[in-house]
Amino acid sequence: MNKRFKSGLLTSLNPTRYNLERWSYTLHRITGVILALFLIAHIFEIYHVTLGIAGWDQTMAELSNLGVIELIGMWIIAGSALYHGANGLRLILNEVFGLLLGKPRLPEYPYSPLSLGRNQKIAIYVITLIVVALWIWAGLYLLAGLGIVRW
Amino acid sequence: MKESWTMLLMYALGLIMIFVLTFHLLLVSPLTGRTFAEALSYNYVLHNLTYYQIIFGILLYAATIHGLNGLRIVLIEWLHPGRFQWIINAVIVVLMAMLLALGTYTLIAL
Repeated sequence: MNKRFKSGLLTSLNPTRYNLERWSYTLHRITGVILALFLIAHIFEIYHVTLGIAGWDQTMAELSNLGVIELIGMWIIAGSALYHGANGLRLILNEVFGLLLGKPRLPEYPYSPLSLGRNQKIAIYVITLIVVALWIWAGLYLLAGLGIVRW
Repeated sequence: MKESWTMLLMYALGLIMIFVLTFHLLLVSPLTGRTFAEALSYNYVLHNLTYYQIIFGILLYAATIHGLNGLRIVLIEWLHPGRFQWIINAVIVVLMAMLLALGTYTLIAL
């Protein structure tokens, strides 16, 4: 068998070979799992507000003991939410309303993905810009909580 | 091909959450003039959860159903469970019911 065909699994695991759409798919999945696990923890966390002010303050103090780990975690979750929301809006436009996909055409050599046209690329770049900008903003806000950055 | 109703539900709940979750994040954002610690103070959290009870209720149900169904899809596509898929479905449904019960109790008990 040609050696080129044997590299299938390794190629699929090599993220440097992903195109833009595959990257956004992978990130959408990873951020989705992060958010689902955070949601479970978050509902348990907010339940402690029913224990009154003493119970709530104790819960917050225990979470604050995590220090930098908590802040990095919050930052990752904020970024996940921003990306998953922005990319999810693009997916709704794509898959429910069929927008951004361009006109159908016959595949021509050299083959390029029909779904990844100019509009789709612009949308992904715009999403990346907005998410990175808001993510940096969220990071500064979290650092201000530590007193490292003056807000 | 018949369209999947659960996928349509995912899109609908996702679209709802774009608005409701943005509102939720704005409540703890610096646009309210509070630091992160002040946004997590007991009085502010209690005020938000009671004053915007219905919005947080919508968010609770939308996020739990959307999130856990997403987790179910990821698990099924990762593990290819075949005839054991009912185990994943059952675990997700039980977890969903527990989270919704705890969240609803939190919103009502305040």
